[in-house]
Amino acid sequence: MLNFLKLLFTPEFFFSIIRISAPILFATLGAIIVEKAGFCNIGLEGIMMFAALAGSMVSYYASSWLLGLLAALAMGTLMGLMMGFFAFQLKTDITLVGIAVNMMGSGGTLFLCKVITNLTEGKAMASTTGLITSQLTIPNITIPLVEKIPFLGGILSGHSLLTWLAFLICGLTSVMLYKTSLGLNIRAVGENPNAASSVGVSVLKIKYIAIAYSGLMAGFGGAFMSMSYAQGWSQDMVAGRGFIALAAQAMGSGECLGGMLSSLVFGFAQALGIKFSAIGLDSNLASPIPYAVTIIGLVIFAVSKRNREKKLHSPASLEKAGAKK
Amino acid sequence: MTKKRQILFTLVRGFVAILIALLVATLLIFISAKGEGFSAKLAATGKALQQMLIGPLFRTGRSGAAFELKRLTDIFASMIPIIFTGLSVCIMFSANQFNLGAEGGIMLGAFVTSMIAIYVPMAAGLHPIVAVLIGGLAVAAMMLLPALLKTRLGVSEMVCSLMLNYIVMYLIKFLLNTYLADKTKGQIQSYEFLPTSKIGAMIDTGWKLSWGFLIALVAVVLCGLYMYRTRWGYAIRMIGINQAFSKYSGMKVAYVIVMSQVVGGFLAGIGGGIEMLGRYQTFSWSSLPGYGWTGITIAILAGNNCYAVPLAAFFMAYLSKGCDLMATYAKVPSQLIDIIQGVIFLFFAAEQFLSHYRQKLVVKSAQEELARKKLEEAREGGAANA
Repeated sequence: MLNFLKLLFTPEFFFSIIRISAPILFATLGAIIVEKAGFCNIGLEGIMMFAALAGSMVSYYASSWLLGLLAALAMGTLMGLMMGFFAFQLKTDITLVGIAVNMMGSGGTLFLCKVITNLTEGKAMASTTGLITSQLTIPNITIPLVEKIPFLGGILSGHSLLTWLAFLICGLTSVMLYKTSLGLNIRAVGENPNAASSVGVSVLKIKYIAIAYSGLMAGFGGAFMSMSYAQGWSQDMVAGRGFIALAAQAMGSGECLGGMLSSLVFGFAQALGIKFSAIGLDSNLASPIPYAVTIIGLVIFAVSKRNREKKLHSPASLEKAGAKK
Repeated sequence: MTKKRQILFTLVRGFVAILIALLVATLLIFISAKGEGFSAKLAATGKALQQMLIGPLFRTGRSGAAFELKRLTDIFASMIPIIFTGLSVCIMFSANQFNLGAEGGIMLGAFVTSMIAIYVPMAAGLHPIVAVLIGGLAVAAMMLLPALLKTRLGVSEMVCSLMLNYIVMYLIKFLLNTYLADKTKGQIQSYEFLPTSKIGAMIDTGWKLSWGFLIALVAVVLCGLYMYRTRWGYAIRMIGINQAFSKYSGMKVAYVIVMSQVVGGFLAGIGGGIEMLGRYQTFSWSSLPGYGWTGITIAILAGNNCYAVPLAAFFMAYLSKGCDLMATYAKVPSQLIDIIQGVIFLFFAAEQFLSHYRQKLVVKSAQEELARKKLEEAREGGAANA
């Protein structure tokens, strides 16, 4: 046991937690922003698949990771806007739009991958892993001074540019939600669209902005998956991260900081699973760990929330509130 | 709006949605078609489309298209699992429960049924029935988890059921790989089902159509009766329409929500079992089969109406077969079906799609009504004057 703990608490382990958490954090931010605007985007998974494909394809054809990243972001935003069009304009249930996007994201991306590689490479490929070289992935950043710190350096230095961006954008999103008028409008639309509309806020516009932002975040997540986490796109590579993000959003009670912490929890669960399979646990038993942790996490969150509410409405606390008056 | 107009609108709307999906498909096929120049590509597209649209039923050759019974029974055979998942999703969605566990459910049902078919000897007639029922019950028990978590703690049944799909898949893979695999075979598969457990062939045309097809149709009727002729079905539909009102009028909302998902799970489970015993000799699924997602599309196409499920299932099975043929003969990747499915899905579920047309129909109906009333009034007035 002690040996195992020693094996566990290495800089590499913490490094991998942060690395694994980054795409989940991006998707979680995408889930948070639409939750604040009053709906739920379950299409994150599918958007991430499309963005991952677009990112790796464009970076290969343009031989530039930056253009690839931009393509992934554009793809994510466009998919978000498309979802918005169906949900807000054609009044499709947003959950069903999400399911449709996920359906297309799973097989449709493979179709596009095969068709595009067939046109340009002469043979249909089922993944782009053969095309992408390490120059075409998003660069890792070593931090000059931090790198030298014994334990911490190994954890913090050498991360992908996008990992840093994930945590930075997490902070920025929080600021946007609570310190800008746009954030205020988004929250107002989520809490009471009629009230927001009565003071002249265009509810439709705000909802479009929210879902486009959500798509943009999923675009970041997708780019991370195919251009940093793995080299190139392959089928079903997002593997439920878009759904885990929905759970992370709920567990973080819809706040950016909470979402970040729950993403780290899921990152920890997955890193643990990888570690377990490295010391000999069957990979089919290690792989479901993050999914099981998601359900357990949701249950713990729900129970604690209920207890808090019970406490709030208990006779003792009501008395206290009465005494204050 | 008159009933006739309403049906007309539904038909036109469905037709246009399918047309749009096929247009998107044509465009994609055109892009992926092999050939130099526009006309060669166009010809290749036409050939591919021909395979997709009439290939599932007709063998095309120089002498024109010839109907083939085998292809029709093939489509019927592939309808069996998706009818069950379609019914399962219909019932769960009717209660407004977005439980997406039919995918994991059908795999678990298939697995449990297979295990009983392999390891528990029984009399010939009894064996498949017991195996399939236990498979169904196993999935019903699995669905208790998201259902109870939803009603007791308010945990999203959607996220929970999606996570369960992954967990079920990995655990089945683990059990199969480590304990249950027939190690003498090259690929990972279980031992063969006992001969007593097989579900026999209804029609045998090489690739047989099992009695499972008839069972599926019976299940459609039973589900229809359940949803439209019993108070439980009524409660499920009412809760889906207005949960607060149902609670106010004294329905046990939590109980019905759990029941809808348990029944849905049971259906997905027996679907998996029947598919296994009717079609395969061993259990060898190593990933989720995708029938659960197709089931969702079918439920949307059928508008959550159980009786329309076989029609929607036929349509999806037909398209899917067409895409397979196209992949074989025209080298268009068969995953095109996912894009077509997604597009049809989006437009079918869109409430405001073609709303202008509906508006026009409503206005026309109202005007006719007014004109008729005026005519009647005039006639009555005339009678009074005379």
